[in-house]
Amino acid sequence: MALDFSIILRFQEALALGLWTTVKLTLICVVLGCSLGFFIGLARTSRSTLLRAVSSVYVEFFRGTPVLVQLFWIFFCLPLILGVELSNLTSGVIALTLYMGAITSETFRASLKSIGPEQLDACVALGLPRRVQVTNVILPQAVLRAIPTLLSNCVSLFKESALVSAVGMADLMFVGQNISNNTARPIEVLTVVALIYFLIAFPLTRAVTLVERRVLAKLAI
Amino acid sequence: MTMSFSAPLVKIQSLHKSYGPHIQVLKGLDIEMKPGERVVVIGPSGGGKSTLLRVMMGLEKIDSGSISFGGKPYISSESADRKTEIDTEVRRSIGMVFQHYTLFPHLSVIQNLILAPCKVRGESRASATKRAQALLERFGLGAKANAYPAQLSGGQKQRVAIARALMLDPKLMLFDEVTSALDPELVAEVEQVILQLAAQSMPMMIVTHDMWFAKNIASRVIFCAGGVVVEDGPPEQVLGAPKEERTRDFIDRVFHIRH
Ligand SMILES: Nc1ncnc2c1ncn2[C@@H]1O[C@H](COP(=O)(O)OP(=O)(O)OP(=O)(O)O)[C@@H](O)[C@H]1O
Ligand SMILES: [Mg+2]
Repeated sequence: MALDFSIILRFQEALALGLWTTVKLTLICVVLGCSLGFFIGLARTSRSTLLRAVSSVYVEFFRGTPVLVQLFWIFFCLPLILGVELSNLTSGVIALTLYMGAITSETFRASLKSIGPEQLDACVALGLPRRVQVTNVILPQAVLRAIPTLLSNCVSLFKESALVSAVGMADLMFVGQNISNNTARPIEVLTVVALIYFLIAFPLTRAVTLVERRVLAKLAI
Repeated sequence: MTMSFSAPLVKIQSLHKSYGPHIQVLKGLDIEMKPGERVVVIGPSGGGKSTLLRVMMGLEKIDSGSISFGGKPYISSESADRKTEIDTEVRRSIGMVFQHYTLFPHLSVIQNLILAPCKVRGESRASATKRAQALLERFGLGAKANAYPAQLSGGQKQRVAIARALMLDPKLMLFDEVTSALDPELVAEVEQVILQLAAQSMPMMIVTHDMWFAKNIASRVIFCAGGVVVEDGPPEQVLGAPKEERTRDFIDRVFHIRH
C-alpha cells in the first residue's frame, strides 16, 4: 500500500483549527488549574482539619479515577444536576481544570514541604511579619521549586486534553480522527497528528531539564 | 572582682524549657548580662546552648521564667495558662546568626540585606541599598552584592548573614556556632568580622566550640551543662583556672592539655 502524505496538505486549515482548540484549552486550564492547585496545596498543609479533609478527598478522587470518566461525568452529569446547558468548551475547561488542580496541588504540596524550618527561623529573627514571610520568602521558593514538575504537569495536561475528542470537542485529535475516517488514510493522518503533539510536547520536556540546570542550580534550591 | 552598677542589658530568670513531656533542656537558668558585655556560652553537646539562644530570639516557647531586655520583660510565661508571651517590639532589637546558612536562596545578597529594613521598618529601597552596600564593603563583600547565596563560600554566606542581621541596628547579637559548619580555612574570616563588631562594643552572646575564639572575644564565659549554669566568670577563670570540677573536665577535654 502506497503512503501519500500530501493529502495532509488538503486539510491543513482544519488541523490548524483543531490544534488551536487544543492549545487554547490547555493554556486556559494550565492557568486555572495551577492557581487552583496552589490553593489546594496550601489547604492540604493547613492546620484546619476540615480544609485538609475536603482538599484530600478532592485530590485523591481526581487522582484515583480515569480522566475519561471525569470528562464524561462533567459533560453529561453536571448539566443534569445544575439544570443548565454547558458549552463544550466550558465543560472541557471545568473537567481539565479540576484534573490539573488535583495533580498540581501535589506538586505545590511537595515544594512547600521542602522549604526547611530554618528559613522560617530566619524570618522570625529578622522580625518579618507573617504576610511578608509568605509573599517574599515562602511563595517564591515554593513556586521556583515547583517549576520543573509543573512543566511536566503541563505536558501531561496537553496530552490528556486529546480525551475531549471523545465527547465531541473539535480539538486536534477530533479533527484528525474525522479526516482519517473520511479519507480512509489513518496511517498518514494519525501519524501526522501524533507528530504534531510530539513537536509541541518534546521541547517542553526538554525545558524542564533546562530550568533545572540553569535556574535551580544557580539558586541551589 | 569589680562591681558594676549599670543596669543589666539582659536578665534571664529561672528559665525552664522542655521539648515535649520528657526532654527537659533548661532547668532554671539565671543569667545577667551587662551592657557592652560579650558573653561566650560553652558546654557539652546537647546541653541546651542553642535552645537558650533560640528562646532569647523568641523562636521557642518556654515552660516558665522570664527574660528582660533593657529592664523590660519581653519573654515570659507567668500567666496561669502558661502561654509564652513575646514582646515583638523588644525582640526586634535582637539579631541572630545561625550555624546553618539561613540566607534566602532566591534573593541576591543585597536583596537579602534590604528585605527586612524595607518590609519591617518601611525604609526606602534606595536608602537601605546604600546602607547595605556600605556594610558589604566593610565586610569585604562589596563585589558580591548581586551574587546569589549558592554562589558564595560558606564563610562569605556567614558574613552576609551577619550583615543582614546588622541592617536592623540590633542592640544585642546572638551567634550560635556560626563557624561550626565551615571548612577550617574559612573560620578566621568570619571570626574577624565578629571581632570587628566586638571592637565597636556591640553586646553579644556567642555559643562556640572554638576555645581560641572564645578566649579572644569573651569578656565573660558561662559554662552550661545539664540545663543549668555551672560556672560563670571572666575568661581567665573559666577557661584558664576553672573552679568547678565539671568545668575543668570539659575544658580538659576540649583543650586536650591543661594550661
Ligand atoms: N526541636 C526539638 N525537639 C526535641 N528535642 C530537641 C529539639 N531541639 C533540641 N532538642 C534536644 O534538646 C537538647 C538540647 O539541644 P541544644 O541544641 O539546645 O543543645 P546544644 O547545647 O546547642 O548542643 P550542640 O553543642 O550539639 O549544638 C538536646 O538533647 C536535643 O536533642
Ligand atoms: Mg547547638
